[in-house]
Formats: sequence, structure tokens, C-alpha cells
Amino acid sequence: MRRIMMTIALLSLLLAGTALAKEKVYGKGVSEGDFTKISTILADPGTYSGKVVRVEGTAVGVCSHRGCWVTLASDKEEETMRVKVKDGVIVFPKEIIGEHVQVEGVFTVNKVEEKCDSTKKGEPEVKCTTLMQVSGTGALVNWK
Amino acid sequence: MSTFRKVCRWLHRELGFFAVGLTLVYAISGIAVNHIHHWDPNHTAYTQTWTIEPTGVGETDALAPVVLERLALDEPVKETWRAGRELFQVFVDDGTIDVNLVTGEVTRLGHAKRPFFFDVNFMHVNKGRAPWTGIADAYAGVMIVLALTGIFLVKGRRGLSGRGGVLMGLGIVLPLAYAVIQRLTQP
Repeated sequence: MRRIMMTIALLSLLLAGTALAKEKVYGKGVSEGDFTKISTILADPGTYSGKVVRVEGTAVGVCSHRGCWVTLASDKEEETMRVKVKDGVIVFPKEIIGEHVQVEGVFTVNKVEEKCDSTKKGEPEVKCTTLMQVSGTGALVNWK
Repeated sequence: MSTFRKVCRWLHRELGFFAVGLTLVYAISGIAVNHIHHWDPNHTAYTQTWTIEPTGVGETDALAPVVLERLALDEPVKETWRAGRELFQVFVDDGTIDVNLVTGEVTRLGHAKRPFFFDVNFMHVNKGRAPWTGIADAYAGVMIVLALTGIFLVKGRRGLSGRGGVLMGLGIVLPLAYAVIQRLTQP
């Protein structure tokens, strides 16, 4: 009985320690190296498209139900970068808003409208939206 | 009663009692998370609106302290962000405060952890990862033992060779049929 109680106590301590951790790694985390400014990437998306990038910023938006994306504030005002992660692999909590987040992933540039390049003459112009985001493989949050 | 059946009964009884808590956790949160499209199973949300004296648009460094002073929050501010020319955002522990710099309208979108559900969902989805992964794996092992020992609890017409066997077959065939139909109909 004493052994069981000791095991339960140790497990509880371990769980509490994990819950209180200030620094939290999501997914594969963020590898060592320089961070690229979000404004630099957004100013020249073609250069970074398809490449692995490390970005950081304040979380200003999050997928409220599934936690499958987070929006980071750029170093430049009024500019943001969306970070999409695989559903269920990484789950960003709602409380992440306002926290400093570091992310690593592949920067992608996609046109939302499939047929936006094939508009024929005479047809009304299809508005084409370009979606730029980081497909995140890992993140690091230093909880305040 | 054979020794094998006695062991099955003993295991099923002891582990059955032990598994009650976590079975309820997984079952209740399973229903909650299944309907994630209909509701937020982890948080309750609230909205508050009020008005402050507008600061007008200008340099963020200059207007940020003025906005914070006029908001007069009695809680720590995590961060602020100039989201747009007219929109200034303040992030606090339980949400976001949007301030329209031109009209002075303030909208607070807050959330609170839903009692009970937040914790059971946290365990179910395994947001904490290790060491919960180990506990969840052990629980899954217990469930396997419960399922297998349960087969041999009763013998005769109500056991594996009778009604029990038919029910067990149904329990296997139904998910299997669903999986096959899914494979055939989904591209």
C-alpha cells in the first residue's frame, strides 16, 4: 500500500511540474538559428516560398475551437502572419493570445481561387486572393 | 469454474473498478469534442462593450499609454498591438480588448475555462503530452484486458457461444462495415 501511495505521489509531482512549466514546446519545437522578420518575408514572398523559416511574434489570433492555427503580429504594424498546423498534431490553446511565440515551418504562397489565372477575356474578373502562411512543424511559447 | 475463467473474472472486476474514472473522462469528453463544430467544449465566451474618450489615430507609442489609462484596467496587460489604423488591441489573460481609436468604442471578447469539461477534454486530447501519454497508454491496455476478459465471463447460451457471441459479432461488424463503406465512397 505504501509503495502505491509513493508512486501516486511521485506521479502527481511529475504532472504538476509539467503543468507549471513556463516554456512550452509544441510539435517538433524550433531549431537553433536566426529568425527572419515577418515583414522581410511578406515584403519578398517569392524568395521564401517553399523554404523553411523561423519567425516570432505576439499571438494576436487563434483558431478558437481546434487550435489549428495562430496569427502572429509582424514587427511592422497592421501586418500579420498566419501559422497553420496539422489538426490535432499541434493544438494552440486559446490563452496563447498576447504571448510571444516562436515558430518553425515552411512558408507557402497559395492562390485561394483555383481558376483565378484562367479568367477569359470578356468574363467578369475573378478576384484572386493570395494566402501566405507558414505551415508550422513546431513552436515554442514562453508563457507570461 | 475453471482457473482461466476465475482469473478473467478477477481481472475484469478489479480493473473494471479501477477504470471507472478514466472511462467516464474519455466518454464524456468524447461526446463533447465530437460536437466541436457546434460549440466550444473548452471555454465559455462573453462580450462586453463600453466607450472611452477617443484618442484619435496617431503614433502608437504616443497613444498606447493614453488608451491604457482611459481603459483603467485592474488586471495585468499581456501585450498591446496596433491591428489597424483605427484599431488598437489589448491582450489580457482572459481575452482581447478591441479599442476603436476614432469612436472610442471598446469591445471586450473574453473567455473562461468551462468547468469540468476543460479538464476532461485536456486529458482526452492529451494536450499535456508526456507523462499523460504513458497514463493514457496504460489505460488503453486496461481497456484491452477488460474487453478480452469480458468475453469469458459467462458461458452457455448467454455467453460467447450464444447471445454474447452475436452481440460481439455485431460490435465488430458495425465499425468494420462503416470503414469499408467509407473507403469505397470517399475519393
